Amino acid sequence: MSEASPAADAALDAANLSDHEYDGIQEYDNPTPGWWHLIFFLTIIFSVFYWFWYAGTAPGKSVHEKYEEEVTAYYEMLFADVGTLEPDEPTILRVMHDPDLAQFRPVAQAIFTSKCAACHGATGAGGTGPNMTDDSYLNVSSLTEIATVIREGAATGAMPPWEGRLHPNQITLLAGYVASLRGTNVPGKSPEGEVPAPWPEWAGPEDAGAP
Amino acid sequence: MSDSTNGAANGASSTNGSAVVMEKFTYDDAIVRKFMIATFLWGLIAFLAGLFIAAQLALPALNFDIPWLTFGRLRPLHTNAAIFAFGGNAIFTAVYYSVQRLCRARMYSDLLSNLHFWGWQAIIVAAAVTLPLGYTQGKEYAELEWPIDIAIAVVWAGIFGANLLGTLIKRRERHIYVAIWFYIASWLTVCVLHIFNSLVVVAGPLKSYSVYAGVQDAFIQWWYGHNAVAFFLTTPFLGMMYYFLPKAANRPVFSYKLSIVHFWSLVFIYIWAGPHHLHYTSLPAWASTLGMLFSVMLWMPSWGGMINGLLTLRGAWHRVATDPVLKFFVVGITFYGMSTFEGPMLSVKSVNALSHYTDWTIGHVHAGTLGWNGFMTFGMIYFLLPRLFQTNLWSVRLATAHFWVGMLGIIMYWLSMYGAGVTQGLMWRAFDETGSLAYPDFVETVTRLIPMYWIRFAGGGLFVLGVLFMGVNMLMTWLSRPPKYDEPVHEAPKLDPVYKPAPAYRSDLENVVGLGRKFDEFTHLGWHRKWEARPVKFTVWVLVAVAVASLFEAIPTWLVEANRPTIATVKPYTPLELLGRDIYVAEGCYVCHSQMVRPMRHETERYGEYSKPGEFVYDHPFQWGSRRIGPDLHRIGGARNHLWHWQHFENPRQISAGSIMPGYPWLLEQDLDFGQAASRVRAMSFLGVPYDADAVLTAEDLARAQASQIAEEITIQGGPDAESIETKKALALIAYLQRLGTDIMAAPDAEDAEQEPED
Repeated sequence: MSEASPAADAALDAANLSDHEYDGIQEYDNPTPGWWHLIFFLTIIFSVFYWFWYAGTAPGKSVHEKYEEEVTAYYEMLFADVGTLEPDEPTILRVMHDPDLAQFRPVAQAIFTSKCAACHGATGAGGTGPNMTDDSYLNVSSLTEIATVIREGAATGAMPPWEGRLHPNQITLLAGYVASLRGTNVPGKSPEGEVPAPWPEWAGPEDAGAP
Repeated sequence: MSDSTNGAANGASSTNGSAVVMEKFTYDDAIVRKFMIATFLWGLIAFLAGLFIAAQLALPALNFDIPWLTFGRLRPLHTNAAIFAFGGNAIFTAVYYSVQRLCRARMYSDLLSNLHFWGWQAIIVAAAVTLPLGYTQGKEYAELEWPIDIAIAVVWAGIFGANLLGTLIKRRERHIYVAIWFYIASWLTVCVLHIFNSLVVVAGPLKSYSVYAGVQDAFIQWWYGHNAVAFFLTTPFLGMMYYFLPKAANRPVFSYKLSIVHFWSLVFIYIWAGPHHLHYTSLPAWASTLGMLFSVMLWMPSWGGMINGLLTLRGAWHRVATDPVLKFFVVGITFYGMSTFEGPMLSVKSVNALSHYTDWTIGHVHAGTLGWNGFMTFGMIYFLLPRLFQTNLWSVRLATAHFWVGMLGIIMYWLSMYGAGVTQGLMWRAFDETGSLAYPDFVETVTRLIPMYWIRFAGGGLFVLGVLFMGVNMLMTWLSRPPKYDEPVHEAPKLDPVYKPAPAYRSDLENVVGLGRKFDEFTHLGWHRKWEARPVKFTVWVLVAVAVASLFEAIPTWLVEANRPTIATVKPYTPLELLGRDIYVAEGCYVCHSQMVRPMRHETERYGEYSKPGEFVYDHPFQWGSRRIGPDLHRIGGARNHLWHWQHFENPRQISAGSIMPGYPWLLEQDLDFGQAASRVRAMSFLGVPYDADAVLTAEDLARAQASQIAEEITIQGGPDAESIETKKALALIAYLQRLGTDIMAAPDAEDAEQEPED
């Protein structure tokens, strides 16, 4: 519009021209735009309400409280059906074989990728840490010792301890996942350590949960 | 009061019958020419540095394993050069050209002008040498070490300030124009910000520690950092706009009233907004909320400048099609408008949860710096070239080509970084159907961005190409300058020491109470017109506006005990860890790695327990970071073994395929200066970090002992022989990394046991 009729614009403004002049620069005394005021006031009103809603709040609304709530709810949901997964041989065997727990394999795999893969390789074929896909183990002679090594670490810190950094059930799931990598023989780091006896057979679902 | 628009009538009163004293004067354009050329040269260097580090992200081999060429050291060089060398010289070009004309006075002192120019260039050279050598305070945009900080204070606060205020005091124009209001606010606030953010304890010739720690240091840093954007990259450029746009368009400014309202609201509100850089961190929630709300309220005050700029062009739009100066200004102001909408949006917590630590922020910043600061500066330079070199611009077509190439470059830059930011932000937070991280491998979220990094590089390349066009145009215009510059002599009356303001507006509203009439008189802003005739008083009011906000946020951050809870098991760093932390700072690790796990499930699943304020009480300076080009490191302590770090420093890609981190092989070869341990511990003790009484004396021995132990453990883990590595720098950095974030997992000492840990 303004481009179409610069002359009309100028005529309109002329009445508003102030007597200010600096190095040839003049100023109109035009009013500030109404929509500008409106939005400005709306942001101020919003801010006042938000402040009192957020700062003068009932417990449970803070970022940290909401976070705790979400985490608690997630783990309750995730482990609702299985309860506590003890890091013992029958449970680790269940994790490895029980179809009822198959849903947890991707959970364990995600943990392995984010925590373990840096040293043991994305496929478990080793890196600074040993290869987990061959038959040999450095600090492990049984299934439960896998969980122990994850929890407490080994070899003067070569393997760091993960207790406190992972949910106890996650450690058991991870132990099962790592155990199941045995014998997949992904080419990578050469075998290190001893060959423990083969992992026991899983007796089937009826044994599940036995102490 | 006469209605005459003749400035002379404003300047001096002849009504009292006394003779008007006319004074002759010239403008100092030589200094403007110097600042303009420096703007171009430093701009080119800043942009080339940016282009180089952009390429490094796509192609990490470009770090060449050379210390002073690594991303972590060059990124501060790029930002400092772009802001303070390019932006700074552009500001001074605008100030020195326009203030003289707006005040009808030569700058207060030619000596001060030249000291200012050469002092500032010396500071830039010092920065360009020290930053690549790893001398840094480790706080973004405030990296320069203490001797340079002092020089900045002297040159900016002292020399520039004296010259600016001196010119204002001896001006021959009664009222100061809106451009000068913005210059005053910029000068004053940058003084305050720079001085209070740079308070340090000196630990060596080029080494110092921030006097603030952890949460407080983060707060003060982003109070500074955000207001560097506000008062270094916004207000001086608004001043530039208010002078050069109406001059170039030859149109009156749209609204004096809007100038007043948006100036004061901008100055008052901007200063509160800093904490929006720290959402979901260990900063207290109330501060974070204030930061968000004031950012939202800042939207319209910012847009006031855009409206006044764009509407000033009414009646001149047809000239935008032909005049490259106006083209640059229009697009510059439009980018200002877009950035000042995007800024408040990004400061809303739930948006920030996605955008923070990603390239979205980088895209946002560059829309502002390339689009607003860059294009306003280029427009100004094209306006000045014919005037300062007193000849025609060599090529309008080349200037127009610069405009189009530059704009295409900015758009490619902005869109690719926006895409990269949203992509990475969404990948970080994505869960699969089991609620596990969908992309648990951090590197996967990096490699996905590489194509966008190439697009960014191409966009940046186009922007630099445009600047080269400008360089050619500058050179050719300069070559056709006259043999001797014409120096016109101006004449204006001396200001009458007695100021007779225009008669006050008297409200003639009927049927309202007295208060209503008073309000009506207030909104006619006659009081402000009086302030404009009193630059010193005006400056004091600006100081009040920025100080109120700063103190409202700063004082509670320090004084309220709840804002800095202590954790019994959090102990000071050992001497070796302290030396390692120095390396972390010197190498600019904070440029790519945060140390702040936010309380979000996807973050705690990826990194571990979220960060608590009490964990940072000995962190001088804080190292929370602002961008995760690599993963967060706050819980890295104990999550890898020493050997992993050792090999990872040597070449990250031999450990982590696809990583874009530079190699740090020199850390494995260079010997650590253990002798520095004592001075570092002494400086920390001075800051109140509770070391034992004999800690300074034993610092070096303790550091050596811890290094030997780590070396032995590396040997056991299958690494090189302990004796051959026990003096290397990498050991100190490993010691520091292994300590990070582990204190809250430690068992409390017997004496501390009665104190409950914070969490």
